Amino acid sequence: MKLRIALVALLVGATACAGDGDTSSIADLPEVATSDIVATIRESGKPAVVNVWASWCGPCRSEAPLLAAASTEYRDTVEFIGLNVRDSQADAKGFIADFFSGAHIQHVADGDGSVVTDLGGTTGVPLTFFVNADATVAKIHFGVIDERTLALEVDELVRASGA
Amino acid sequence: MEFTLLFAAAIAYVTGAIALRWEAARGNAADCARDLGEILLTAAVVGVAVGRLTAMIGSGVNPLTSPLDVLIVRGGVATGPAALAAMATVAFAARDDLIVVADALAVATLAALGGWQLGCLPREACLGSPTDLPWAMTQPGSTVGRHPVELYAAAIYLVAAAGLAVLRKRRPAPGLPAATALFVAAAGRLVTEPLRPSLGGGPIWWYMTGVAVGVGAAAWARRHRPVSPPLAAPP
Repeated sequence: MKLRIALVALLVGATACAGDGDTSSIADLPEVATSDIVATIRESGKPAVVNVWASWCGPCRSEAPLLAAASTEYRDTVEFIGLNVRDSQADAKGFIADFFSGAHIQHVADGDGSVVTDLGGTTGVPLTFFVNADATVAKIHFGVIDERTLALEVDELVRASGA
Repeated sequence: MEFTLLFAAAIAYVTGAIALRWEAARGNAADCARDLGEILLTAAVVGVAVGRLTAMIGSGVNPLTSPLDVLIVRGGVATGPAALAAMATVAFAARDDLIVVADALAVATLAALGGWQLGCLPREACLGSPTDLPWAMTQPGSTVGRHPVELYAAAIYLVAAAGLAVLRKRRPAPGLPAATALFVAAAGRLVTEPLRPSLGGGPIWWYMTGVAVGVGAAAWARRHRPVSPPLAAPP
């Protein structure tokens, strides 16, 4: 019985530490068009990972910490852009506070999802575009991305760009 | 949604089941291959679930408010807690005869790990660090040749499983096959990890711990080998 109580206490304690971040320091996400994304990537001179996410998307929660870690590890060689779709500003900022805290990701909004379809994506989220430095889409990963695939695709991008 | 990991898991299950049946036919785990298979499967499921829950909590996802996220295995599984939970499950299920059951599962465990690694073939994901070696594999749309690192690991595990099956026929010290399997499972990942794409180099410390525990357990098993009764003197 004591063991069960201890296990429940451990689980509750661990889960109490999760989520509920502060959004006061997060600016509103600017609404962008496809041309803005293309210009941002070309100006950076680096290949880019464009991750499409939404606060209402359960699987996006699972991959967000991985993208946050990758954005820190590859910050010198790859541009990370978060494309928030069909979401409210308040929910999007709450999600950023909870799961993208400390990440080197430039988050923007695509209210109707038109940028995603322009780039060759679908309406489903999550979705990740791997984009060359000249803003051409090298690959699209549909669904949740895992660590191995992300590391592999970033390596392919960096090698293709000669970075 | 991709289900290729599930396919890889099915290959692992079939490989482990074949190893158990093969061993049963050779008398190593006679009459209990089915029970051993259930223990192995339960341990694998519990291990993945605990590893996934740990990864969720570690990345800020609350499993009480988002319970279904535990099914998104692709989102990450914490290797160390998963392995510990799987071993704890075996220890609980076989608490009356732990060493005998652990030894009986040793070959099948390595075979299942080999099958899991072979699962990269249908996923077209046998891709590690870049290389110019003639057996390098490339992913569709790429020109970069890469080490088929999962196939290296599969070869290590399957050859070790076969070697361990031979060792078990020679009646090794109780616990030695299980300790050897733990050592090979951890060492196989440790030596192939540098060739795998990852962020931060992978859970190297967990693999080193597994290697150390495997070596320690093997030494313990050899020191505590039961002494055979002396032959009776001729009348």
